[in-house]
Amino acid sequence: MIYKKDANFPYPVLTNTSNSYESGGFTLNVDLKENTDNYRFDIEYEIESDFLKELLFTRKAKLYLVVQSKDNKFFEVDLNTMFIDIPKTRISINNRTSLQMSIQSKEEISFAYNDDINSFFKEFREEIIVSRYAILGFSNTVIFEGSSSRPFDLFERKVNSALSSAIKIELGSETIIIHYRDVDLQFVGLPMSGNFNNPYIYMGLQKALSRFISNYGEDGQVDLHDIDLPTDQLDAKLYRLMKAKMVFELTTETIDEAIYNISDKVIEKYALAVKGLATSGD
Amino acid sequence: MEIRILEKGYKKNPEFYQDFLDDKIADKEEYFSDETVNIQSAPEFPFYIAKKNDEQRKVLFLEAFNTIEKYYLSSDRDLHLDEQFWHSLLILKKRDFLLETYPEIQEGIENFNNIVVKDFDWENYIYKSVLAAEYISDLVTDETERQRYYEIIIDNLDLYNYMIKYEVFRSKQFVFNILTIVDELGISSLLKKKIVGRSDLATDTRIGRQVLFEFNKNYPVIMSPMMAKEELKELFVEYLGYYTSVEQLGALV
Repeated sequence: MIYKKDANFPYPVLTNTSNSYESGGFTLNVDLKENTDNYRFDIEYEIESDFLKELLFTRKAKLYLVVQSKDNKFFEVDLNTMFIDIPKTRISINNRTSLQMSIQSKEEISFAYNDDINSFFKEFREEIIVSRYAILGFSNTVIFEGSSSRPFDLFERKVNSALSSAIKIELGSETIIIHYRDVDLQFVGLPMSGNFNNPYIYMGLQKALSRFISNYGEDGQVDLHDIDLPTDQLDAKLYRLMKAKMVFELTTETIDEAIYNISDKVIEKYALAVKGLATSGD
Repeated sequence: MEIRILEKGYKKNPEFYQDFLDDKIADKEEYFSDETVNIQSAPEFPFYIAKKNDEQRKVLFLEAFNTIEKYYLSSDRDLHLDEQFWHSLLILKKRDFLLETYPEIQEGIENFNNIVVKDFDWENYIYKSVLAAEYISDLVTDETERQRYYEIIIDNLDLYNYMIKYEVFRSKQFVFNILTIVDELGISSLLKKKIVGRSDLATDTRIGRQVLFEFNKNYPVIMSPMMAKEELKELFVEYLGYYTSVEQLGALV
């Protein structure tokens, strides 16, 4: 569980709010990303105590990451851990998600040689012996409020009876616009009509990503690490979406893979809708 | 299967209850949000399990755990741990099943609230079953062993409920470790015993809950949820010793 209270401990505990350590605090930064199947928590942390770092290094203490959403997930992490992946089947971030790191002793620890603690505790540090499994430090809590980012905010639908084709996909200034000549082409009224439009979503993304490559790429490929946030608003949305879904390289060859990763199973949902229609016998 | 998600506000709503009985929910647009979800198949299972003898209860829980494991757990948690999804599924797709299996729903709205649109927390049988199926199927791959663990949960329901009720313990590894310890020590019935002769404790306190309460009191100085099973077992026996004789158990640890 995430520990929020500023409790009084009978021994020094490294936190960002208590002053029992003079050397500094325990800071955690987390970046949340996702792809089709997983949420990825990129973690960066700093433990500002050489005494505690040495305990971790010699395995007299262990470092944990707690991810709390509807339940608690504990991960033992080490100094090389850069991220934690959690499948979407096992975590929901619709509601608040909180993360915290903590350090737990694995054996009895004497604080006699702890030079990082404040002068009050230093006075009697020879007498401070912390039992095993005890908390030695905890970081700030990083909170993600529920996410509402939906890839379909990229799209607009319009009906235009003067269209010279049945549908037309236009790359607008902020959105991909799907023009329908006839409202019937949107399958309004059929169950799961939204999903029946997914092939158009797919085509729209294909068109937009192809333009993205030609705008920012060299030799038909773009490395997202190398380019800044585009000023074109549609491209900026695509850029943010791809980064959030961990698509960093885009080439003409990998467009389909990129669409799969950023679009939350559009084709599977389409197939499911078609099958549903077939079995219901309509 | 496409399921339209109900708009909040349906709970404890007499008009909604009447429309459910009259099978008119689907006709009223105002009951629905803009959201729809798709699920490949959503078979029924015992959505509500109460007032049964031990043997009946075990059969029903096992059916719930196994059905959820097989048909629901591969969906995102956004779905299978979401109150509105379950209520929408029950109301819109399982009406006949509910009326047939739990005819008392027709007797009054209290029963409807308690059986169909029950709050999705530790007291809700679907919630209990989803967490049980997730936790056990993630950690136990062998089929026979998995069924055995499901039975351990059912045999120690009081303890399981207590663990998923409190945030600090609601964790896959901790729940699994405690169940394993109880099974290894063979102390299921001991933990269910009431504590006698302790006027300082609330009445009707059972040993098992009190042991967990000791873990709770000592957190976070002792960070039990992230401890390995063997470490946890030592502490468990120590705390158990506050309430009952553990000399014979000591030999087992």
